[in-house]
Amino acid sequence: MSSSSPSRYSLRQSVAMVWRTLRSMRTALILLLMLAAASVAGSVIPQLPNSPERVALYLDTHPLLGDFYRRAGLFDVFGSWWFTLVTVLLFVSLVACLIPRTRAAWRSLRARPIQAREIDAFRHYAKREVALPPDEAIEVARRTIRRRRFRVARDPDRPALAAEKGALRETGSLLFHWAFILILVGVVYGKGTGFSGFALVVEGDTWIDARANYDGQIRTGRFFDGEFTGVGLHLNEFESAFRETGQPMDFVSRVDLLAPDGTPIRSQDIRVNHPAKVDGITIYQSSFGWAPVLRVTDGDQVLFDDAVPFSREEAPDGVPQLAMPWRGVVKLPTLRPQMAIDLELWPDSRAFFEQLRTGEPVAMLVAFEPVMRYTVYEGRLTDPSPVSLDVRFMEKTASGIVGAGTESDLATGELLEDGAAAQGPVLAFTDLKQYSVFQVAKDRGVPIVLVAAILILVGLLPALYSSRRKVWVRAEPIDGGSRLLVGGFALQRKAQFEEEFDRLVEALARAAGGVGSEDAEREKVGTR
Amino acid sequence: MTTLEWARLSNDAFNVALLSYLAAMVGYFAYLAFRRESIWKVARAVAFVGLGANLVSIVARGFAAHRVPWGNMYEYSSLLAFLVVAGYLVIVEGVYKQRALGGFALMFSVLTMAVAVSFLYVGPGPLVPALDSYWIKIHVQAAIWGSSLFALGGIVTILYLVQDRRERRRIDGLRAEEPAPIMGGAIDMDAPHDLVGDASDESASAEPGERRGMLPAAATLDRIAYRIIAFAFPIWTFAVIAGAIWAQEAWGRYWGWDPKETWSFITWTIFAGYLHARATSGWRGRKAAVIALVGFVALLITYYAVNLWIVGLHSYAK
Repeated sequence: MSSSSPSRYSLRQSVAMVWRTLRSMRTALILLLMLAAASVAGSVIPQLPNSPERVALYLDTHPLLGDFYRRAGLFDVFGSWWFTLVTVLLFVSLVACLIPRTRAAWRSLRARPIQAREIDAFRHYAKREVALPPDEAIEVARRTIRRRRFRVARDPDRPALAAEKGALRETGSLLFHWAFILILVGVVYGKGTGFSGFALVVEGDTWIDARANYDGQIRTGRFFDGEFTGVGLHLNEFESAFRETGQPMDFVSRVDLLAPDGTPIRSQDIRVNHPAKVDGITIYQSSFGWAPVLRVTDGDQVLFDDAVPFSREEAPDGVPQLAMPWRGVVKLPTLRPQMAIDLELWPDSRAFFEQLRTGEPVAMLVAFEPVMRYTVYEGRLTDPSPVSLDVRFMEKTASGIVGAGTESDLATGELLEDGAAAQGPVLAFTDLKQYSVFQVAKDRGVPIVLVAAILILVGLLPALYSSRRKVWVRAEPIDGGSRLLVGGFALQRKAQFEEEFDRLVEALARAAGGVGSEDAEREKVGTR
Repeated sequence: MTTLEWARLSNDAFNVALLSYLAAMVGYFAYLAFRRESIWKVARAVAFVGLGANLVSIVARGFAAHRVPWGNMYEYSSLLAFLVVAGYLVIVEGVYKQRALGGFALMFSVLTMAVAVSFLYVGPGPLVPALDSYWIKIHVQAAIWGSSLFALGGIVTILYLVQDRRERRRIDGLRAEEPAPIMGGAIDMDAPHDLVGDASDESASAEPGERRGMLPAAATLDRIAYRIIAFAFPIWTFAVIAGAIWAQEAWGRYWGWDPKETWSFITWTIFAGYLHARATSGWRGRKAAVIALVGFVALLITYYAVNLWIVGLHSYAK
């Protein structure tokens, strides 16, 4: 070590050491297994991108452990810095392994097979007497071996040749491994320049592909150009069908797709497994729910008149999801004091009354005379969200029930008979619609990833199943012809090569005018 | 035949298959213990009867449900059991001429079917919308073939580890009992004498490791396990890729770290690690086998735990 600049020298040394470590297959193997171990954590612990509500529940029930998980990034393993770090290290290690291997493979592909000094030293060895003189015998042997797709090189100095086959194994292996780099490229390019978002559309409404219309439910790539298509989607109808067991049978959104100027492109049914593709974006059926149309009037003044998408909580254990009521909220910020209505929808009122009577939850498979239970709060609205309600600064003033097509007095909670005068604002449940949630995605990396996946398979097969084989032949002059010396070995699939070698020797002897194998002096050296 | 009759036929054939596999398993273990050729012939015949009944059950199920018969865990288990037994008979007995492993392969199928019929049974019916795609034919088939071969490879790997341990002990035992080599004397480790055998032991002259329980030699088991796993790996790779293509079509992304995706990736990674380990000096043999064993466990988790206990998009069990 140089004493004048020890730090620089040791830095270079350590970089070299790190590089050497990364280049070893052991390192790549360990990184790969680390990735697997991290994935285990990601599948056992609830993940924010997949199920945020389960993460929230976990934080509630396991405050200490949950806090540790949160700090360690274990609620988003696959988006955490350390997962990315291991992935990047793995790819660096992969490239570090691949570059020298690819160079070596390229060189050996172009190199001529090397002549052997001693043929009888190989694992497989045979001697056969043939009628042709040495030079002709070797020329015939060259053609015979070539026909078996070996690469053959003739010895320029004497009647001998070297041949090899099976470069496809290393080529396939390299292709397999490089394809993973291509996957990375495809993923980074696709996710980087694309986006994925959710669009909620109520029956009868038209949704336009623009950033604002995703209501924040969108993740754009770092290099996304910010240009949305402006394509329109008009939801004519949503249909869901269930079997009596509650097993879903079909979800379908019947939509019209519209060009940015409003002219219709086509009508289409969007189902699970049957997305719509238009103008570079793909629209998938994601989820659905009920959206009651509610109107709130105060005297002649209309305070609210809109369809409100309701959501459903995850059912507790033992309760079918279809038995859960739907919840929504209507906020009336212009009233003084401000007012909020917390609503609970039962699409099938028979289930509601049955549950009231027996206490047993009943699955709701269809809508039937829907009914809503509501609670009125007055005070100060602090939560701007249209879906959640914070009642810390409000107090409960009334509660009641309203059925489809009826009206209810929000001051008393009483149903209003025709023409009866109300004491406060009036809530009318005018219609029950469905809404459909679409996932809208743009990912231009998909074809790249697909090609990479195909290359992985194409490379894998020869990498696993082909084998490298080498054969050498030499001809020595004897009376009335020559003696063929054949040697060879296989680097893989050694048992199979034994037979192949025997057949090859037979073919060589026959081609060069050899005598039958029973007369020939034939010696085969066994496994060494 | 009516749908109900097909369903009944399927269930009856399933029971026949399960019982036949059970009987064949007992037969194969008896063959292992008594080494009578006739026992093996009977056990093998019974296994074929089970295979036939299993196939009838699967096909009838398809007719009863009017769709491909691999739409839920019960059906998947039935097909898995079928392919493990068929894979054993074709690959292990057919290609590698090894008869001693039948009991273990059959035991896997018996357990798979018993769990299926006790805990996972559902009547034949249409598919949930998420599964209603032609990709179910491609992706799920590849997954079942890959799983059954991995399972077979896993079983052979367990036996390799058992046999390897036994062989090591015997060699250690030889080292302890043989007098120390003096002046050019040496122990030939490749063919040790049978020091503990006695006249009543039929196999006293057998090769090391073939003596008791007559399992094949550890090296043979290792090679068979490797071949089966190397055969399964591309199929599993294809299954994962096909699944990604399907996910792109159904869920709008080809990869989303859903538990099933995550675990099939973990399984893939571990078996990829196994294949690399076998090519890395210092990892060959027991170390590689342990990796394969971990892969086998990951496979079982991918199938059972992910479907039954981990909430995700692939929770189709019920």
